[in-house]
Amino acid sequence: MSGDTRQNLQDSLLALDMQTTIVQVKSVIEGNSEINATEAADAITSALEIVGRRFQNGEWYLAELVYSGEIAKAALELLSPAMTLGIASGRGTIVVGTVAGDMHDLGKDIFINYSKSAGFNIVDLGVDVPTGTFISAVREHQPVALGMSCLLTITAPEVGKVIQALENEHLRDVVRVIIGGAALTETFATEVKADAFAPDAVTGTDIIKRWSE
Amino acid sequence: MEFKERILTAMNHEEPDRVPTMGLILDQSTVNQVLGLDTVDIVGMLRNPETKDVVVQMMSDESSRFTNYYQVHCGVQESAIKLGFDANWSLYAAYMQLVQDPQTPIGYVFHDAFGRVWEFTSDEKGNMLLNYTRPLCETEEQWEEWVESKSAFIDKVIGEVGVFHKKVVEDFGDRIMPIGYAAPGVFENCWQPIGFVNFTKLIFEKPDFIKRVIKFHTDLYLRYLEQVMDSDVEIVLTGDDLAQKTGPMLRPQMIEDLFGESYRRVAEAIHKKNKKMIFHSCGNIYQLLDKFIEWGFDGILTLEPTAGVDLGKVREHVGHNLVLVGNLDVSYLLVRGTRQEIEDAVKKALRDAARGGGYILSTSHSHSAVDANRLRWMVEASHQYGNYPLIS
Ligand code: B12
Repeated sequence: MSGDTRQNLQDSLLALDMQTTIVQVKSVIEGNSEINATEAADAITSALEIVGRRFQNGEWYLAELVYSGEIAKAALELLSPAMTLGIASGRGTIVVGTVAGDMHDLGKDIFINYSKSAGFNIVDLGVDVPTGTFISAVREHQPVALGMSCLLTITAPEVGKVIQALENEHLRDVVRVIIGGAALTETFATEVKADAFAPDAVTGTDIIKRWSE
Repeated sequence: MEFKERILTAMNHEEPDRVPTMGLILDQSTVNQVLGLDTVDIVGMLRNPETKDVVVQMMSDESSRFTNYYQVHCGVQESAIKLGFDANWSLYAAYMQLVQDPQTPIGYVFHDAFGRVWEFTSDEKGNMLLNYTRPLCETEEQWEEWVESKSAFIDKVIGEVGVFHKKVVEDFGDRIMPIGYAAPGVFENCWQPIGFVNFTKLIFEKPDFIKRVIKFHTDLYLRYLEQVMDSDVEIVLTGDDLAQKTGPMLRPQMIEDLFGESYRRVAEAIHKKNKKMIFHSCGNIYQLLDKFIEWGFDGILTLEPTAGVDLGKVREHVGHNLVLVGNLDVSYLLVRGTRQEIEDAVKKALRDAARGGGYILSTSHSHSAVDANRLRWMVEASHQYGNYPLIS
C-alpha cells in the first residue's frame, strides 16, 4: 500500500494538478494515509527531480517548471509543521540578485521559485544590485551560496567585481558563488573564480543542494 | 535601385541590386556618436537635488510628452540615414507617465499605459536608459482596475501612434524607409504587466482570466496596428520575445493554443492593407519557425546568434517562406570586433541567407554598447560584397 500515496503524489504533481496534490497532502497530515509527512515530502521532492530532468532535456518548458515548483512549494508548506526532519528544517539560505546595470529578472526569479520549492530559504536582492549590497547580504545572512544572474555582456565584469570584493572583505571562504544567465559561460565562471556556472535553474539548484549536504 | 525598392524587392524574395540593410537604431549613445552630440546625464540630474525639480517637471508635462519624444526620434532616423541604412525601425515608446516611487533610488519611475514599471538607469556613457522592471497588475482585480482606469490614456496613446508614424514617413520617407514598429506585442503586453512567474501560474489556475487578457490585448493591438498602418509605412514590424536563450518561453503548443489566433489575426490585418509583416523575437526560435510560417508572417528579426541561431540553418528550414532580417552579433562583433571580423560576418550572412533575395542585413538588436563606426563598416561591407548576383 505504501507505494500508492507516494505514486499518486508524484503523478498529480507531474500532471500539474494542484488540487489533487493538496487533497492528498491534507490526507497525509490528517493521518489518513499509509505514509507520514516526511515520506510525502520526499515523494514531492523526487517528483520535482523528474520535473528538473524533463526541463533539462527540453521536454518541459518554463511554464511547467514554474507551476510544478508552485505545487511543490504549497505542498511542502503544508507538510513542514508535521515533519520531524528533512526539508522542513531547510537546506540553508541562498542570496540571489541580478548584477549592477542589468535589469533582467526572469531567469533569477525562476531559479528562486525552483530552489525555494526544493527547500532553500531565499534572500532576493532584486535587479541592478550594486557590489556593496551583495557583500552586506552575505555578511548578514551567511548563506550556503551567493547566486548572481547576468544577461548582458557589458555587465558581465560586475560578476568578477563582486567576487573580488568578497575576497577583499575576507568573505570568499565562507560562501560559494554560483552564476547564471545568458551572458555567462562555464569558461567565464572559471576566469572570475566563481565556484560554479549553472546553465539553468535546475542544474543550479542541484549544485547548491550538493554544497548544502 | 533606390532604398525602398531594394527593401521591397528583397521582401518579395527577389534579388535587388544589392542586399538591403536595416538599422535597429534606438539608443541615444549611438545617436550621439553619429551626430556628434554631447551626453545629457538626465539620471544624474534627477539625482541632484538642485536640478531634480526641473527635470521632473519636464518629464511630467503631458502637453510636451509627444513632441519631446518625436524630437529624440528625429535623431534616431537622422543617424540611420547618416550611417547609410536603407531602412530603420521606427518605434513610438512615449506611452508612459512619470510617477513618484520612494522605493527606487531616484524616487521616480515611469508607468506605461499597459501596466509595467520602467526604471531609470544609465548606459556606460551616462545616457538615460529605461527598463521594464516589474508588473503593476499581479492579480485579476489589479488588472481589471488598471485597464479601466487607464482606458482614456490608452486611447490617447493609440491616437499618438498614428500621428507619430505619419510624421516619421513625411519627414524622413524620402531619405530612408521607416519600418513601422508596433511594439510591445500581444504576448509581452499580456505577461509583462502581470509578471512572468505569476502569468504562468495564472495560465494553469485561472485560464479564463488569461484568455480574457489575451483577447483584450489582441483587440487593443489591432487598433494600435491600424494606426501604424494609416501612415504610409509599407512594412510593419510586430514585436514579441517569444523565446529565450535555449528555446521558447512557453511550450510551442501552449503558445499556439493561447496566442495562435492572435498572431493569425495580426498577420491578416496587415495583409488586408497590402502591407508586409516582420516579426521580432529574440532568443532561440527554431521550434517556432513552422508556426511563424503557419501564422502568416512574411519575415522574422532578430535571429539572435547568442541564443545559438544560425542563419544558414534557419534558411535551410524555412526556405523562401520567410524573409530573414538580422543575426549580426551585438555582444562582441559590433561592439569591439575588427573591421575584418565584421566583413567576414557580413560575407557569411550573405552566403547563408541572401541568395534569391529574402535577406535584409541588420544587427540582431539595438544595444547601447554598439559602436557606430562598426555599424558603418557593416553597411560598407554590404556595399562591397552584397551586390547581386552574389559571388561565391
Ligand atoms: C526577456 C528579455 C528582455 C526583457 C526583460 C524582462 C525582465 N524583467 O527580465 C526586456 C524587454 C525588458 C529586455 C531588455 C533589454 N534587453 Co533583453 N532579453 C530578453 C530575452 C529575450 C530573454 C531573457 C529571459 O528572460 N529569458 C528567460 C530566462 C528564464 O532565461 P535566463 O535568464 O537565461 O535564465 C535561465 C538560466 O540562464 C538560469 N539562470 C539565470 N540567472 C541565474 C542565476 C543563478 C544564480 C542561477 C543558478 C541560474 C540562473 O536559470 C534560468 C532558468 O533556467 C533575451 C534573449 C536571450 N537570449 O536570453 C534578451 C537579451 C538578454 N536582451 C538583450 C538586450 C540587448 C537588452 C537591452 C539592452 C535592449 C535595449 N536595447 O534596451 C535591454 C537591457 C535592459 C537592462 N539594462 O538590463 C540581449 C543581450 C545581448 C548581450 N549579450 O549583451 C539579449 C541576449 C537579446 C539579443 N537579441 O541579443 N530584455
